[in-house]
Amino acid sequence: MQFKFTCFLLLFSSTLLFAQKSEYNTISIADSLKENANAIVRLNQIDITISSQRNMNIMTKRVVTVLNEKGIGEIEATEYYSKTSSVKNIEASVFDGLGIEIKKIKRKDFKDQSAVSGSTLFSDDRIIYLDYTPTQYPFTIIYESEVESSNTAFIPQWYPLSDYFVSIEKSILNVNYPDNLGFKKMESNFSNFKINKTIDSSTQLSYTATNITAQKEEDYSPVFNTIFPKVMMGLENFHLENVDGTAKTWSGFGQWYSEKILSGTTELSEETKLKMKALVGDEKDPIKKAKLIYNYVQQKSRYVNISIGIGGWKPMLAADVDRLGYGDCKALTNYTKALLNAVDVPSYNTILYGSSRKRNIEPDFVSMQGNHMILSIPNGDNYIWLECTSQDTPFGYQGTFTDDRDVLIMKPDGGEIVRTKIYQDKDNTQISKGKFSLSQTGDFLGKIIIVSEGSQYNQKAAIENFQPTDKEAHYKKYWDNINNLKIDKITFTNDKENISFTENAEISAVNYGSISGNKIMFVVNGYNQITGNVKRIRNRKNPFEIQRGYADGDEIEISLPSGFSIEFLPSNFELKTKFGEYKTEIIKKDATNLVYKRTMFLKKGLYSSKEYDEYRLFIEQISRNDNAKIILTKNI
Amino acid sequence: MSFKKTLFIVLFLVYFSNTKAQTFELGKVSIAELEEKEHPKDPSAPAVMLFKTCRVYFEDLTTITKVTTKIKIYKKEGYKWANEEILHYLNGETVSFSGAITYNLVDGKIEKTKLKSEGEFEQKINKYYSKKKIAMPNVREGSIIEYEYTVRSGNFGSLRDWYFQYSIPVNFSEYNVKIPYFLTFNKRTKGFIYPKLSSVPTYNRETSEVYKLENIPAINEESFVNNINNYRASISYELALVNIPGSIFKSFSTDWEAVTKTIYDYDDFGGELNKTGYFEEDVNKLISGLNSREEKIDAIFNFVKTSVKWNSFENYYCNDGVRKAYKDKTGNVAEINLMLTAMLRFAGFDANPVLVSTRDNGIALFPSRTAFNYVIAAVETPEGQILLDATEKYSLLNILPLRDLNWFGRLIRKDGTSIDVDLRPKTLSKEIINTSFVINSNGVITGKIRKQLTNQEALSFRQKNIITSKDTYLEDLENKNNGIEISGYVRENDLDLSNPILETYTFKDSKDFESINGKIYIAPLLFLSTKVNPFKQETRAYPVDFGFPIENKYNIMIEIPEGYAVESLPVSMNIATPDNIATYKYVIGSTGNKIQISITSDINTAIVPADYYTVLKEFFQKMIDKQNEKIVLKKV
Repeated sequence: MQFKFTCFLLLFSSTLLFAQKSEYNTISIADSLKENANAIVRLNQIDITISSQRNMNIMTKRVVTVLNEKGIGEIEATEYYSKTSSVKNIEASVFDGLGIEIKKIKRKDFKDQSAVSGSTLFSDDRIIYLDYTPTQYPFTIIYESEVESSNTAFIPQWYPLSDYFVSIEKSILNVNYPDNLGFKKMESNFSNFKINKTIDSSTQLSYTATNITAQKEEDYSPVFNTIFPKVMMGLENFHLENVDGTAKTWSGFGQWYSEKILSGTTELSEETKLKMKALVGDEKDPIKKAKLIYNYVQQKSRYVNISIGIGGWKPMLAADVDRLGYGDCKALTNYTKALLNAVDVPSYNTILYGSSRKRNIEPDFVSMQGNHMILSIPNGDNYIWLECTSQDTPFGYQGTFTDDRDVLIMKPDGGEIVRTKIYQDKDNTQISKGKFSLSQTGDFLGKIIIVSEGSQYNQKAAIENFQPTDKEAHYKKYWDNINNLKIDKITFTNDKENISFTENAEISAVNYGSISGNKIMFVVNGYNQITGNVKRIRNRKNPFEIQRGYADGDEIEISLPSGFSIEFLPSNFELKTKFGEYKTEIIKKDATNLVYKRTMFLKKGLYSSKEYDEYRLFIEQISRNDNAKIILTKNI
Repeated sequence: MSFKKTLFIVLFLVYFSNTKAQTFELGKVSIAELEEKEHPKDPSAPAVMLFKTCRVYFEDLTTITKVTTKIKIYKKEGYKWANEEILHYLNGETVSFSGAITYNLVDGKIEKTKLKSEGEFEQKINKYYSKKKIAMPNVREGSIIEYEYTVRSGNFGSLRDWYFQYSIPVNFSEYNVKIPYFLTFNKRTKGFIYPKLSSVPTYNRETSEVYKLENIPAINEESFVNNINNYRASISYELALVNIPGSIFKSFSTDWEAVTKTIYDYDDFGGELNKTGYFEEDVNKLISGLNSREEKIDAIFNFVKTSVKWNSFENYYCNDGVRKAYKDKTGNVAEINLMLTAMLRFAGFDANPVLVSTRDNGIALFPSRTAFNYVIAAVETPEGQILLDATEKYSLLNILPLRDLNWFGRLIRKDGTSIDVDLRPKTLSKEIINTSFVINSNGVITGKIRKQLTNQEALSFRQKNIITSKDTYLEDLENKNNGIEISGYVRENDLDLSNPILETYTFKDSKDFESINGKIYIAPLLFLSTKVNPFKQETRAYPVDFGFPIENKYNIMIEIPEGYAVESLPVSMNIATPDNIATYKYVIGSTGNKIQISITSDINTAIVPADYYTVLKEFFQKMIDKQNEKIVLKKV
């Protein structure tokens, strides 16, 4: 299931000083900074000056030595602007390894383009960026820019280390602000890094970070911003697209958002209201009413991202969505809310980070955050969450895009941080029941019913809508352990009421068993193998995370060809570790009939870097046992 | 009598075309169309173009293109067809939409929703381009949408390509060009289905050329296809001749000779090619003292490769000119390769530019200026042509980057005449692996590998891996090879391009060993064996494109553990496809405690016609089955 998003625009920004070139030759760089680095940030100085609630000026000076092609992305000579912000200065100069200037780049040599991305139909936002073709490596680029904005709602977050495979010689942040706007900040993940807070007063904040070595990207690492240092900043009294705002508490922020941004956006025509009342009829239960309305929205609307005004923060009017039948996440959420209003079901706009990698709205820092919007409906002590951009998602299902994270609910009397639904490991199930037979020539003929629930429903439900060629490709990949696979028949049952997806497959394959002499050898576990490796990582540094757990159960009847006897049967196998449990067993019913049972349970969790190897071995043992074979010998 | 007959035909034609015309007008939506639940010929189609027609005509110096489209949406996956965008130049081109209406069936009645200005957007992309976009209102499953757009272009005589085929079926498509007597066009159709042409003289000495196609199936991507657009049914018109008697006579491309002559006469092509002053001194220095032809060509080729870097822009004409590119050390394809050609000529070689259409641009099937998008250099020698592309730093004489390897190019000589040049490599690119390993009875295999890559294989290896850090490369290598542990890794000739890439390392493999019931089962290729057939589809419509001829060769020496003896070996095998497209040779033998295997597989043709698909698929399956056959060792 695919949720479309890109909703709010995160405004990034960046500055200006004088350049003393010879200090940027590449010979003087410490070896420790070159290790694992494609580029070295020699200096990244960001000077933010907030002169009033409605004015912020950001100057960036960034000096980057690029060692090879993979480091080009670290130049970051890019600025965004819109109707309420402007790029006052942008320029760069390039130096060779010895620190001798080889090129000057003026504003007119930067590319100036619309910042529309794939799924966006229209946006006012623009981007200016440098598209530089290096003529030699290493080289050093000095980039300077100045951006002015009336939006003080977004003060750029400070990441002294912004990416993997890049090292930092020096990174400086200076922020100046009036003492009456309620400037605040939050530091995270500072330990293990050399970061000095040089000034922290009522009008000024400064940090200097030095000599941060390049980090390798390692599989299963937690999200970047939860392991590396960052500083979030904000104002209690800010300004957003011609509206003054306040963010002292979540409650106050929510109030402001409801009054200044949302109010007046949920008006609907009497005709539509009557239609909704007719739709719910005599139904009294608010949840049942909501289900009918949600279904109506799913039938009627589609996702189209149009981002105009208020930096894409104000939803399109519900009446417009009603007429057009499309909108982005905010528009569709707000529209659904308006329809629910018409039948007296309360619901709240909810802001969050939408992504399959779980990310929280930082609960202890009141500010504009998030990139997505969904709708929440109170249900006793809990909430039901509605993804309004999807036309297929079952009522209240969150899948992997919005589950298990802190989100901000905008109630009319104030905002509130709440955790979304957690799909428990044991409930993310895939239960397979089936059988297969092996012929005397080793051919496979089988039937299987696979039922997926919890977060596993999410991965499976989309298959139903695949084109026939994609469907075939999916199963040939899913069962790539079966060579010569033929999908003879496949049907689906998508039970949206109980959020359960059933695949009913009939498959066959010639030469599944390999014949050598008078023996046939074949893998017992035909349907659900863990074949992937967990990569061996030398000297892992980062902790590792299993984002979601699951529970698989398989029960497969196997019928053997007549005229053969069993020479070898793999023994039963069981593994119990802190990461989960795995068990297989083979029950011999008679001379030609076996039953294979397999259970696999994986727990979600955050583990230390040291435990990674243990996990790797756990999966390796499973993968080895999943490949266990039966040997049959022909009776003479 | 004959008059009557003619009249009858004319009347019939008029009558016939009238009924046809009525069917394909906007505004005629029937209840039956709205009720249709799936496409009768392609039930899985998410949407269908009921019709799409185009009229092109000329008014003074303006080219007017009017397109009408009627689309039926069956499923949610087809919603994207309810958005349309038309790219146009900002200078001298406008796009306007009209008659955009969505039709729905509501309670048995047809409901019309018109597109209003709120659903129309003009998105400026950059200085040159803009996109006109619409998002149709009130679209749901079952809707029919229709719209017309008009492109008015001051770019006289330049017609947009017309596509008859899309990724959804098209019931009817028509392309209609009204050509004044003084213009002549070249017309090219592409694809596997051909439109019917009828040519009708009309008033004002104009001719109407009408192409029609009905019931066009959807076209979709397949693997091993270089560019699906090569096979998509389409037509393109290119201005060939303007002839206003007594006033203007101007001829453009009509055949390959004329096309290349036109291109050669461009200042940005021929003019740039003839400049030499900017490099004479440097090239003289470079080749003084060099005697052999190879030395000189190598020196000049390397000089251009290292001193002018490619800025990733593809074109056959210069942008800033060779002089500036030489000074700035960066340039587009034409600047680099025309400079190279000029230097080679200056050094006394018979060197010429070769126009190329890259794989992304599609195959240059028909003479037209727009058929090409790229240029390389060729040196004529008594032994044949040497092709050179200095945009790719790891390329060699006759070893071009993959993007260039697209059927035929066109070589232009100094006098403007031209000939075809076959770009498909003739020599095999090889991967040669020598390995010897020892099987230990405890299940661990240890051994050594020596791997060589030549020609295109070496080029693509260098492109991918040279800038990857060694740690990362080794982790990936271990992971790709079933989790072996690698030590003592040495790689030679990274930058010595004239020699093959050579890798040697020691490995420890504990996964490709199976001990069952006192016997050891082992596939001689261990982790190197291909397990899955890359050809999964049952049938195929398009040629299979390997890029270049390939040879994989393995020499394997196995030492078996003490106390064991060979029970059975796979049987040697020698297979080939018809017409020698692919061959496979597997020879195995054992003496004492040693087993020796030699495997050679050759793909001798870069592009294999679709007729051979079944044969090729079977060939791969036999090859893979053979590779995975096990050696069985028993205890003695």
